[in-house]
Amino acid sequence: MKRLLILTGKIIVKILNLLGRNAGNLPGIILWHLSGQKCCSIFKVECPIIAVTGTNGKTSVTNCIAQLFEKSGKKIIINREGNNLDTGICSLLLRHCDMSGRVKADYLILETDESHIPVVYSQMKLETLVVLNFFRDQLDRNGEMETLINKVNSFCKTFDGNLILNGDDPNTARLGRANPKNKNVRYFHAEPYKFATDKIFEASEGHFCPFCSEPLEYEYYQYSHIGKFICRNCGFGNYEPYVTASKIDLEKPVFTADGHKYSPKLNSIYNVYNMTAVASVSKLYKIKQGITNGVISTYTVNNGRMENFMLGDRKATLNLAKNPVGANMTLRVMNEMNGEKELLFVLNDNIADGLDVSWIWDINFSIFERVTRVVTSGTRAYDIAVRIKCSGYDPAKITVCPDLDDAVAELARTEGRKFVIANYTAVQPTRQALKRYSENGGKNNE
Amino acid sequence: MSKIKILHMYADMLDLYGDSGNMEILKYRCKKRNIECIIEKYSAGDNMPYFPEYDMIYIGGGADLEQQHISADLIKCRDGIRKAYKNGTFLFLICGGYQLMGKYYRDADGNEIKGLGLFDYFTIAPSSRKKRCIGNIVIRTEITGKPVKVVGFENHGGQTQGVKNPFGSVLYGNGNCSKSSAEGYFEKNVIATYLHGPMLAKNPEISDYMISYCINRKSDNLIKLAKLDDKLEKDCRKVMIERLLNK
Repeated sequence: MKRLLILTGKIIVKILNLLGRNAGNLPGIILWHLSGQKCCSIFKVECPIIAVTGTNGKTSVTNCIAQLFEKSGKKIIINREGNNLDTGICSLLLRHCDMSGRVKADYLILETDESHIPVVYSQMKLETLVVLNFFRDQLDRNGEMETLINKVNSFCKTFDGNLILNGDDPNTARLGRANPKNKNVRYFHAEPYKFATDKIFEASEGHFCPFCSEPLEYEYYQYSHIGKFICRNCGFGNYEPYVTASKIDLEKPVFTADGHKYSPKLNSIYNVYNMTAVASVSKLYKIKQGITNGVISTYTVNNGRMENFMLGDRKATLNLAKNPVGANMTLRVMNEMNGEKELLFVLNDNIADGLDVSWIWDINFSIFERVTRVVTSGTRAYDIAVRIKCSGYDPAKITVCPDLDDAVAELARTEGRKFVIANYTAVQPTRQALKRYSENGGKNNE
Repeated sequence: MSKIKILHMYADMLDLYGDSGNMEILKYRCKKRNIECIIEKYSAGDNMPYFPEYDMIYIGGGADLEQQHISADLIKCRDGIRKAYKNGTFLFLICGGYQLMGKYYRDADGNEIKGLGLFDYFTIAPSSRKKRCIGNIVIRTEITGKPVKVVGFENHGGQTQGVKNPFGSVLYGNGNCSKSSAEGYFEKNVIATYLHGPMLAKNPEISDYMISYCINRKSDNLIKLAKLDDKLEKDCRKVMIERLLNK
């Protein structure tokens, strides 16, 4: 039966390839139906699997971990395109398995959606799970965040493999207690950076100890609810870190993790957390330090995560923000930069974004400094305009251009430094529009 | 100069789906009209405030866990809130805040959280957490004396029954129960609703109804609100109403 399913799957992949269609998800969806919803159970995976999950940073961390092993000469399989549900992972393995379903590699490195952790890894044995964070994100798709954490927690209850957790996120660190018998739980942690605060700065989750309901006490907050916390009642948060990031200076940018100094390309605190997770995996798998240095120091992204464009002689930086945490980070980076600047905010409400755009009200626009103009675009261009207006920003300085090419042309019309924030489904169309503008030298609409 | 005093309860816990934005909007619309708007916060365990001194009490929505956390504290506030309500304080209640003013809320696991019992309705969440009322919603209300469409976003498991006087009738979306015709609960000094968005973002007429109520409740002469430039809000409403109703 399994052989038949593999054969069917492979034929579907072939046909899709012949038709020039992307086989990223559809073969998995068909096999999901044919296999009684267990489309990942048809494979024979004999190598270790490392999974990365969490609300923000999955793609970056997965790619970096893959590089650690690739540069160590290992054969790896990775879902680079971010098809991170069971059906996407099934489609990936169909392309890499032989006719008996055997998957040949040294390591499988899989970005996995939070809600699919129990689904996928009840069907394939997982060796290491890295959990980065839990934030409000697309709540209407996943149900409330607590439900999501409970799903991963229920998996962890019987999991005795390596668990690498963000020890500064109470929503994540609590998974370390799910299975008291698991001796392979490790936490990563970061010491405060320059902009850490002693009061919470942005709307967030996780105010109470999940074990005894007492309020959590924080020594400092790095961003959102990420920081050094402790429950004075039951001691939750009191653990020995496996890897600690310290001496964080984002202006250079540099930081030290586990005694090794790194100079990353990206200058945000959440990149420091992501790279500390990478350093933890590197330590666990005894990767050569030279290789880890290379990966962490050269990692950069060209997919709308702090990506730069030239609009004529005007520099524009695009950043993806699929939730308030991401957007607040971009606003902070904007503010930490001297001089005047302008912002384009592109907001869509397609299914993959979550249909609900109310998260924009958790973005702290009142911190705007030297922002001389705002342009808004996307299917919810007016919603973001109203939101920015109600933060006290002068509506006369807001221009709404639902069409993206119009919006980019409007942004580029004036001189000065530009920032662009786009949410999930908006980021690729926004990149294309920025590229079109820079290639045509501003002749988009002529 | 007129003044409005609002008590925002459990802002640190019941703040799902941008609900605190409603406070930002009321403050903004007051400031534009030179009305002083004081917003004080109350968290579980704080000293008991004197509720009737406020013109408005606001409670937002939260996840099940957070709702459980505050319910015992809320019961302690029952007499104070009841007194304020009888005295004419405006109760503005979203989602969880709406549910907890009724008789009870029974969650998906069958646990019953006692409500304040200010109103007769009660709420039962279906045992399957997947069955939620989620999506854009448009309702029609006549609370301002003329028909107004209210545009928002709903996301609730709980099915609220026994509502005598709803906030509005559903034109698009679910309302109090799955595919129901009525949404929320209304009295002249109560708006209780499932609408997030936050609710006031696209509905300036509702904001102004509440502001007008608050500044006029103790005065003999009707104070009229100055008109504001709501062009962005109007365009925003237009886009959504056309998208949802004119299919």
